[in-house]
Amino acid sequence: MGIIVIGLSHRTAPVELRERFAVPEAEGPRLLEALRAAGWIQEGVVLSTCNRMELYAVVSNTSASSADAIKALKSFLEQRAGSGPLGEELYHLGEPESVRHLFKVACGLDSMLLGETEILGQLKAAYELAKDHQHTGALLNKAFQRAFNVAKQVRTETNIQRGSVSVASAAVEMAERIFNTLEGKHVMVIGAGDTGEKTARALKSRGASRLTVTNRSVERAQALAIELGGDAVPFDQWERVFAGIDIVISSTAARDYILDYSRLKALLKQRKAEPLLLIDIAVPRDIDPTVNTLDDVFLYNIDDLQAIADDHLRQRAEEVARCERIIQDRAAQLLDEQRRYLARAQAAQNS
Amino acid sequence: MSALTDRQWFIGAVVLYGLSSLYSIFLWRRGFRHHNRVTYLLLLAGFLLNTGSMLKRGLATGRCPTHNLYEAASFMIWTVMAVYVVVGLWGRLRFLGAFASPLVFAFGAFALMPALDQSHGPQPDFSIHWASLHAALILLSYGGFALSFVAALMYLTQVHNLKFDKLRAALSLLPPVQRLEVTMGVLLLSGFALLTLGLGVASKIERPAGVNLFGDTKVVWSMVVWLMYLGLILLRWVGRCHGRRLAVGLIGAFAFVLLTFWGTNLLSTLHNPPAPPA
Repeated sequence: MGIIVIGLSHRTAPVELRERFAVPEAEGPRLLEALRAAGWIQEGVVLSTCNRMELYAVVSNTSASSADAIKALKSFLEQRAGSGPLGEELYHLGEPESVRHLFKVACGLDSMLLGETEILGQLKAAYELAKDHQHTGALLNKAFQRAFNVAKQVRTETNIQRGSVSVASAAVEMAERIFNTLEGKHVMVIGAGDTGEKTARALKSRGASRLTVTNRSVERAQALAIELGGDAVPFDQWERVFAGIDIVISSTAARDYILDYSRLKALLKQRKAEPLLLIDIAVPRDIDPTVNTLDDVFLYNIDDLQAIADDHLRQRAEEVARCERIIQDRAAQLLDEQRRYLARAQAAQNS
Repeated sequence: MSALTDRQWFIGAVVLYGLSSLYSIFLWRRGFRHHNRVTYLLLLAGFLLNTGSMLKRGLATGRCPTHNLYEAASFMIWTVMAVYVVVGLWGRLRFLGAFASPLVFAFGAFALMPALDQSHGPQPDFSIHWASLHAALILLSYGGFALSFVAALMYLTQVHNLKFDKLRAALSLLPPVQRLEVTMGVLLLSGFALLTLGLGVASKIERPAGVNLFGDTKVVWSMVVWLMYLGLILLRWVGRCHGRRLAVGLIGAFAFVLLTFWGTNLLSTLHNPPAPPA
């Protein structure tokens, strides 16, 4: 018996194809039941996320039956998706690559965003679901537990998951370098924009509790305010609330500065002596760069945040080789233990 | 204890503080990206030697070793390092040593000047316990001001990075600027409270006959220092001195203390009485 992986991911297939192979959570156990009933697999876990659909399974180790099982599984999945026969989009891996791949996925090394941690939670959920329906056994239980352990080791011993790699999370990171805590901080969003909204959400997730939205379009301001759980103010009146604002996210389509040096200097007199973080996501910029020289004011534009995110990503990439060495060693260890376990099981059966 | 003298133990401590200072330059250039055990271990070793030196001196003289400039400096360095050794147990604050070590090394090197370690010969008969308490409180207050100086340096470094060197700010381990500002305020108030207590205790010390207290250089200097820090507290209270201004004020005030402490002490007849005629 051996562990195989069959599936497709963002590396091999576009989203239009991946979505056809997606397996909703409720269907996962039924799919595994069908595959086991057909005799193609002995154990199985289905991992289905927005970036991949993978079946981790235990099949017979003899080359003939293993090859038959893989062929049958591929055919089954293609029929289910209605995709017709696929080539390299639908990959399959046997040992030892299958185990290494599982460890890589758990560590976030195969993710679209290198080192992201969400995949580990998704992998754990997929494993627990399969285990609860008794679709896992000695081999997959050990392999998945080891994968979670390897992910923890990689997270502790390397920098693969350190630092923010998106503009929104880089903004939150810089906010945490300025404020003692983001709890209770008041954020103002000027204008509308995907990145601005994401940044506001990211700040809210870290404790910023008051959100004010302002936009030239009152309807858009109100809609966004409702989505973010804040309140809207008319665009020509945002200065009224400025005194209590800690963080400003600006992403308007204005061609000129909406906040220049003299205007901000006058507004600062109304404020307590607390830091003010200005995040200017707009192009052309909404905020005069010279405001950065004012005491207690910290200005970050889109290039600053992107540079921080890119630097963190570069550092993560530098860690890949170290992570892969850990994965290689741990996979070899697991496969060795598995071989000895199977040998003992075989010996016990024969005697 | 070993055959080494207390002064030799102190020299060992200063050497370790110096090595830590050299290493701090390396950490500074790397932008405090890693909390580093090397600085902590060097300073811990120096602290242990410093403690041994003070214990040896204290046991030999039968009193708290704060009775000449050398002992006072050693004690002040010890208080700064004692705080660091405790807070440095938390990895994220270990880099504080990179800021503190040049300061303690400079103090230590200065303290080793031969003229500062006057022998415990014939002295004016001060009331011993009150004098020891006075000296200890004053030196603790200077330790607090020294740490406020360190916090102020960290504040200015962090603010500069956040404004003008954003990548470095993103990767460093310096605390948030708001926390540094609170730290500066707490250390300023603590140091001032200790200084006030220490100066108050001085009134209990029996004064030699014919000595004009307010004609003594050190007493006048101490009042100036007290007023200087009081000024910072009052300006902060009315909102005229915070953030960068407070940091600059704390750095300037402690720099004044550092540069003038020794000279005023030497000129003070109360704190550095002339040797009686043979």
